[in-house]
Amino acid sequence: GHSPSLCILADSREISSGPEVISSLRAVHGLRVQVCSLGTSDYVVSNRLAVDRVLQSELQSPRNRNKLSQRLQRLQGIFQRICVIVETDRVRPGETSRFFQRTQYYDGVLSALVQAGIRILFSSCQEQTAALLKELALLEHRKDAAIQVPTEPEGHRRDILNFYLSIPSLSYGAALNLCHSFGSITAMANSSVSALAAGARLSLSQAEELHGFLHRDLDLQLLPQPLPAQGK
Amino acid sequence: PVTAGSIVVPYGHVIGNEKWRGSEVAQRLQGKVRLIFEDGLGLVDFHLSNRTCILLISEADLVAGDEFKRRLVKFRNASSLRGIVIVEKTQISDQYYLGVQKLVVLELGMVLLPVANQGEASQLIVQLVSVFLFLVLQVREQSRDRGANPFLRKQRAQPAEPAALQTVQHIPGVGKTKALLLLQHFGSIHGLCNAAINELEQVVGQTAAQQIYSF
Repeated sequence: GHSPSLCILADSREISSGPEVISSLRAVHGLRVQVCSLGTSDYVVSNRLAVDRVLQSELQSPRNRNKLSQRLQRLQGIFQRICVIVETDRVRPGETSRFFQRTQYYDGVLSALVQAGIRILFSSCQEQTAALLKELALLEHRKDAAIQVPTEPEGHRRDILNFYLSIPSLSYGAALNLCHSFGSITAMANSSVSALAAGARLSLSQAEELHGFLHRDLDLQLLPQPLPAQGK
Repeated sequence: PVTAGSIVVPYGHVIGNEKWRGSEVAQRLQGKVRLIFEDGLGLVDFHLSNRTCILLISEADLVAGDEFKRRLVKFRNASSLRGIVIVEKTQISDQYYLGVQKLVVLELGMVLLPVANQGEASQLIVQLVSVFLFLVLQVREQSRDRGANPFLRKQRAQPAEPAALQTVQHIPGVGKTKALLLLQHFGSIHGLCNAAINELEQVVGQTAAQQIYSF
């Protein structure tokens, strides 16, 4: 049996674009689904794995190329592992079935994803996508990477979470872990690279990046100039 | 023989297992890639490069039982090559797909790509070859701009200053102007975190200093 504490973060846009994924995760698989404004990916399954749900028709269309590549490049800066679930488009009422005409472009996109080391899973409907997400969460749990901190901080902790979320290249999970592991922002800012890695569950190189961000002596030339001092 | 080790693939070539000679997939590959057949590739069907190879699972393999699973596990245990599994997912073999995906992707950590028939398999192999070849070309010519893989992270260093300014504005009571003054005065977020309350007061006044300090 799987742990009852198994938790997945879902982006708030998925409430409208993947309602059956979320309800099936909760009702069929008994997972805790925390809906939040992830912005980066559709789902966060563990401290290191982000999952994007992409319709097959989106991979067929060259028009989506830039959007998709920017999104995945950004994810690669934040997460150690990325998975794309390619979901078959739903048959609309009135259509008998969708004929899928496989194109060279589609094969090129798949090849590029493979070469970039992005994991690909195929799903025929939202319910199957939910089952795959559960499998991924279980796998990550077995590898001791599951999200195991409270996902809904309140009050002052909420403000602190928002502060952490604004730090570039920090994932939602890492920000939650920072909230949970450090008593204050000052305690976090005074931590060593290895303490940051342990507290936020980041790789050493990601923790180095965070440490650098906190300690960097900023170049005042690169900051916008302040408004002229108002007379006192 | 369980050959799953690397072999040398000449640049721009694909090495195919002798057993595919004359097959539909081989006929469609010829003319699009330089295909050489070799005996004794063992578990592997096609080598795309010294590091990457393809294992092809037909509809008949899927329906026949678990033999193909033993072959995949054997490959995974014997080889450090990147193995791409291409599987014929048809109306008949569709019911087995989820099980195969779980084994190949989640348990063995390999790549699995479904195709409808051998024709689609050859088209996919051509694309895989061109993407992986392009990488070799890139490394050779050190040209990283044109047509590069759009899904690889670009190592572009973002300036930290605007981001730090954004972050500091998440402190209650701090807008853009105060954030700027604070960073100019304390130099970094670490410096700001360790500022004494009287130092903060000198920069942003008593009320805001109190808010920042207690945050």
